[in-house]
Order: sequence, then structure tokens, then C-alpha cells
Amino acid sequence: MTAASSVAATPAGVAVPFPSLDWFRRLAERMNADRARHEHLGYVDCVAGFCVLDGAPDGGPFTVQVTFEEFAAVDVREASPADAGRADFTLEASLATWRRMIESIAAGGGRPALTQTLNHLSHAGTPIFVRSDDVLRADLYFRYNQSLQEFVNASASFATRFAR
Amino acid sequence: MAQPVSVDSLLPLPPAGLHEEGVARYEEAFRHHYAEWAAILQRNAERLARGQYSLHWLDTEKARWGRRAKPSSRGLTYGDVNQVPGYGELPALADWKNFAPRGSVREPYRHEMPVVDDYTVVDRGELWAENVLTLYEEAKARQWNATRDIPWSELERLPEDLEKATCQLCTFLTEVEFVAGDFPAKWLYRIPQDFLEVKSFLATQLMDEARHQEVFRKRAIAGGGLLHAAPGFEWALKAILEAPTHTMGTFLLNLLGEGLVLSIFRSGEMIAKTHVDKEIFRRCLQDEARHVSYGVMELKAYLDAHADREQATREMHRFADVGEQVILTAFTEAALVEPVAVLLGGSLEKIDQGMEGMARLWSMFIEEYLARCARAGFERRERCTIPIRAPWATA
Repeated sequence: MTAASSVAATPAGVAVPFPSLDWFRRLAERMNADRARHEHLGYVDCVAGFCVLDGAPDGGPFTVQVTFEEFAAVDVREASPADAGRADFTLEASLATWRRMIESIAAGGGRPALTQTLNHLSHAGTPIFVRSDDVLRADLYFRYNQSLQEFVNASASFATRFAR
Repeated sequence: MAQPVSVDSLLPLPPAGLHEEGVARYEEAFRHHYAEWAAILQRNAERLARGQYSLHWLDTEKARWGRRAKPSSRGLTYGDVNQVPGYGELPALADWKNFAPRGSVREPYRHEMPVVDDYTVVDRGELWAENVLTLYEEAKARQWNATRDIPWSELERLPEDLEKATCQLCTFLTEVEFVAGDFPAKWLYRIPQDFLEVKSFLATQLMDEARHQEVFRKRAIAGGGLLHAAPGFEWALKAILEAPTHTMGTFLLNLLGEGLVLSIFRSGEMIAKTHVDKEIFRRCLQDEARHVSYGVMELKAYLDAHADREQATREMHRFADVGEQVILTAFTEAALVEPVAVLLGGSLEKIDQGMEGMARLWSMFIEEYLARCARAGFERRERCTIPIRAPWATA
């Protein structure tokens, strides 16, 4: 893993496309720049997958895996279905679901509406489904839930451009 | 009918504030061992009176002296220290029933050391879990403060039905949360010091539960007040506290009970009507998930290490047959189910809709419980006494 793998290429001030590797790299940059906040929240040690089920150009799934270590996002990479086992858990949802959540976070200045938090959207298994091959690895999603929520909340700090 | 009791015939009350019996027992116990500790005192007093030094502690022949622990990226963890030869080996059966540190020079002094009879959980299989070091470090790093980290000043007033439902849910959580403090506390002092990593983790669980009890009590009182306690909760808590072994109680508390409470916290976050409540539940669910992880891996370690796995599994099933039913007594109480249904539905008028939602969550809770049992190597699906479908679920 290299530091470069969590750095976004899109210039600052330019809306970052979603879904894209760059969008998640921008979140990683924000997390790493706000280390004091994440030190306050505590260690986060997991590989989290974020899957936009209809996010690929051909309408298929687009998945990014983010590796968190201690207080930082240390690696962000696009993942193929063959890489699925590398993630402790993967949050799967349609582009429309992700878009509503991201827009809600932006509208709230970094705090989503009550019905647009990660846990709210995933608790009943829909519209976000938490996929994992192991119940203990799935539990990492709960153990680090506040950190993961604040990870995506950082999307309010830059403009997002949606593919559709 | 019995004769009326007159005031003159009553026995006097025992004197308040005196502990004569306890002090007498204590005196007797230490006088019984007088020869042992007084000999040490005598030896020390004579040495000091002679003005002689004893520098035997500088002798490193039997020590692991000089093998220095090196910190890893996140500081100096138990894991780092345990890498040093001589410090990380946990006994299968602890025979040091006192406070002499694992890895110290202690054998030459064993014959003079007292035995702490309360150290009864000496089998590593009854408490160890392979993730306990990770969980301990994570627990320390992810502590939070129920006074400062919750944005209490943003707490909004809710419609009365939702506020009462929220406060009732918080009353339930205030009532049940600290059993997860009292249970490890009951066993903590029975675990010898050689298992210091487990003791350390259990101490974090105690702190977590103190904070949960605190935050839900505060939330209820800030929102209107505590509402109803319930007998079903109490029987479940008693069943946990009185579990016959540490592993059985840990299964009932951490794997089943806290697994269900974790689901309630996740539901609580989902149905929260204020950002304050969201934050409370999100913080708590993180702590709870650590406790669940310990419960799963402790049970796995117990079954894996047991000399007669089949027998151990049979016993666990017998225990679970009762434990599940008692836990179910709590999780079917009106003081829990109905307020959650009101919050899920969105109002008292929509309680029926809320119950439909609860039925879906019920099946999810039980499936998660069974998956955790299976992960521990304890296949419970065929024998589970809790119905996978909620009793009120429509076909």
C-alpha cells in the first residue's frame, strides 16, 4: 500500500464524479487531514467495500475498497468481484440510494437527515445491504460505525457530480 | 389468629454501622497465617535494624532481563510485550493464585506466598479468546464520554407518544445494561493474574457498561423521565448473573444478550427521532459489538480447547435451552416491544405497522444469533428454542 493510492487526482474545487475511485480517495484525504477527530473516535482497522450496484459504465457494479488502519484510510482501490473476500464487509446499494445519502449529507453540512445514515439505510438489509462472508468480520461494520459515518460525512466538504 | 405483637416483645435491632463479626473473621484468618507473614516481617525488621541491604533483586539469573519490548506503530501494546520470550505464554491451567506477575522471578518465593482462594477460574479455556488483545486495545482507543461527546444541548422535544416511547426504551436499557458490568465484575476477581489480558478487557467492558447505563439514564431524564421497569427483564438479568460458569454466562450475556441488545441499538439508531439519539445509539452499538466479538471467540476457544468437546457441547446446549427462554422473557416484554414498535411505526396510531417492522427485525436478530453460534462452532440452529419468526408475524 502506498500513500499515493489514497490521493485523489481531481483538482480541488472541481466537482468529483460519483461513483469513482477519485471520490473515495477524496474522502480518504479528508479523513487523513482530520486525524485529530479520528484519533478521538479511536482505532478503525478494517477493509470496507462500497459497491454501487449499477455504478459501472455498463450498468453493472462498481466497487471500491478502502483500507482503514489506526486513524487513517491508507489504501483506496477499485475492486473486482474476485477481490470481494479481501473486504471485511461491503455496503451494496443502487446509485440512487448512494446519491440520496450523499445529497442529504451535503444538504446537512456534513450531517445526513435522520433517515440517511449508514446504519439507518442498512439495518433492515435494504436499501443498503451489508455483505460479508463471516459474521465476525461483518461485526466490524458495527464496531467502527461512527468512524465510517464520519468518513462518508466528509463528502460535504467537496462538490459531487453524479453520473446520473 | 396469632396474638398481636407488642412493642416490648420485639428483639432489639442489631447495632448499625458495626461489623464485629467481619472484623473477627478477618483477625482470625490472619492470625491463623501469623507464622507465615510474621516470619517475613521479622526477617525484614531484623535486616533493617542491622542496617543491611538485600540486593537479591539485582540478580537477573532467573529473570528475562534485557529482552526489551519494542513498540509497534500504535504504541506499546500487550501484543508487543507478549512477543518478548517468557512473557506471552499463558498457562493452560493457572497455578499462581496470587498477584505475582507472569514473567517475573516468582518461583523462589512461592512457598512463602499466600493463596487467594477466590481465584477459581484457572482454566484458560474458560476465559481466553484469540481476539482479546485486539479488543482491549480497540476498547481503550474508542472510549467516549457520555457527558461531553453527546450534543445534549441539541435535544429536541418530541411529540408525547414518541418521547414516551423513547424514554421507555431508555428505561429498559438503563435497567439491563449494567448486568454486562456486574457479570464480568463477578468473575473478574475470580480470574488469576496470569490471565491479565482477559482481566484488562473485562475492565473495559465494565467501563463501557457504566457509560451505557449513564447515557440512557441521562437521555430518559432529559426527555421527560424514566418510565417502567419490567419483571421479564429482571429474570433475564438474574439468569445471566447466576450462570454456573464464566463461559456459560459469557455465552448468555455477550453472545446472545448483547447480540440482541446490539440489534436493539442498531434499531434505536434507525428509529431515532433526533440527532442526539442517533449519536447515542451509534456510540453504544460500537461498544456492544466488541463485547459480542469476545463472546463468540470465547465460546469458540472453550469448545476448541475442551478435552471432551462432545460433552462440553451437550452441556452448553442444556444451558442454552434454559438461557434462551429466560432471555426471550425479557425480549417479549411490553415495556420493550411496544415502545420500539411505536418508534418504528412513527406514532402510537401506527403501532401495527411498527409491529410488522419488528417482525422482520426479529427474524434478522435470530439469524444473526445463530450465525454467531455457528461461528463459535456451536451449531444451535436445529435446537434453538427462540422462534425464528416473531410470534405475531403473519404468514
